[in-house]
Amino acid sequence: MNPTQIVEAVLFASEAPLNAEEIARADEALNEDLIEEAVQELNAAYSESERAFEIRELGEGYQLLTRADFAPYLERFDTIPRPSRLSGPALETLAIIAYRQPIGRIEMEYIRGVSSSGVIHTLQDRGLIDVVARGEGLGRPLLYGTNQRFLEHFGFRSLDDLPRPEELPVILRDRTPLEDLERSEPVEAAESVKAEVDQPEPGVDDVLSGEAGDPAGD
Amino acid sequence: MDLAVTESPLEREDFLVIDIERFQGPLDLLLHLISQQDIDVFEIPVARITRQFLTAIEGIGARDLDNAGEFIEMAAGLIHIKAQMLLPRHGETEDEDPRAELVRRLLEYEQIRDVSQLLASAEAERARRFGKGFLEPRPRPPMEETLLETTWEDVFGAALLVTPPDPVIRTHLVATRPVAMEDKMNLILGTLDRVRRIEFSRLVRPFKSRTHGVMTLLAGLELTRRRRVKLRQVEMFSELWLYQGVEGSAEGSEDKGS
Repeated sequence: MNPTQIVEAVLFASEAPLNAEEIARADEALNEDLIEEAVQELNAAYSESERAFEIRELGEGYQLLTRADFAPYLERFDTIPRPSRLSGPALETLAIIAYRQPIGRIEMEYIRGVSSSGVIHTLQDRGLIDVVARGEGLGRPLLYGTNQRFLEHFGFRSLDDLPRPEELPVILRDRTPLEDLERSEPVEAAESVKAEVDQPEPGVDDVLSGEAGDPAGD
Repeated sequence: MDLAVTESPLEREDFLVIDIERFQGPLDLLLHLISQQDIDVFEIPVARITRQFLTAIEGIGARDLDNAGEFIEMAAGLIHIKAQMLLPRHGETEDEDPRAELVRRLLEYEQIRDVSQLLASAEAERARRFGKGFLEPRPRPPMEETLLETTWEDVFGAALLVTPPDPVIRTHLVATRPVAMEDKMNLILGTLDRVRRIEFSRLVRPFKSRTHGVMTLLAGLELTRRRRVKLRQVEMFSELWLYQGVEGSAEGSEDKGS
């Protein structure tokens, strides 16, 4: 049993994308490099032998998917409801969030020129965006960002699969400076809020030593 | 772009019939007006565009108050820009065109629109690939609960009717050896009673079958083990010699049998 076969077995049995860490659980000998190598090897073998499927990278995960050419055949089966396509406003809003995250509702609405709270709700319900932080301004607005589901939905490996910043001079010209992002504090564990910010949540020690951000700071 | 805009041959500018519902919002509508008339986004004729914009949104007010606000806000902004442009400028701010912010927003929105089209095609492309679990497993026929209508007597009765399988008679074939080792041992000992030593080949020669050879060898080995006979061979595959026991004279006293 070589590592490539083990990776193949794990991916074959999985219905959802698995990241390297998850795959590595299969065997002590596996690591990220080996898995990446295995995936390349398998894909080369699949294309050589003209398999109808291949391993795709979605976000950080790998998944065995059929090749797009076979869609017409598979689409004849309607036993499973396919994920419905997103509406125009939803796509617009996602585009803004993808480039400007973390971003609050007000800013999105300014860019789109229309109110967006309904669309934001829809996107949250579909699990494509998360609240990732809170802004500094009045009322500590919720800031949104895209997540792993977003990448999976569009078949992206990472946000780099979107057009490069150089190709979109305007959007990114006034992208929130990095320092501002770092200054925005992570969300406290509120319901319906999935904090996915690198900064750790302030612990008891932080509170006692008074180093954690003062909620009434501004 | 569809034929959302039809232009009057008489007066090109002001007779744009626009289906407002098709637009995502005021910026979308503005972009549409601009691109439809090949207007340079950096040189927007504010008065003309404002007029067209107002005409376009005239109908929506009563129908859709939610969206109307956004369009009306934009109209107000356009008028505000026009007003600023009419006012004399204050010295140093000459390079600051009142339209600048609107232009920036339009360009930005245009790119967002492009990206969202790109997202739409990525989404469509992704939807053409299927992972496992695409087909629902075939539903199993539901297991129905049926009442047992038999009594214990029936069950026992049925059990009694069952004839037990015949016990399997295993037969073992035991092949009898056609040649007995005893005979060969006696042959060897008998021969060695007469001669001090004898060649293995000579012991075997009178018999045709290979079995005799094998049994003679085994007998020889057995006798060696009992120290009744000694074997000697000079080199591999050379003639095998059988000698009388270690002490030829003692052999009789050792073994009371023969």
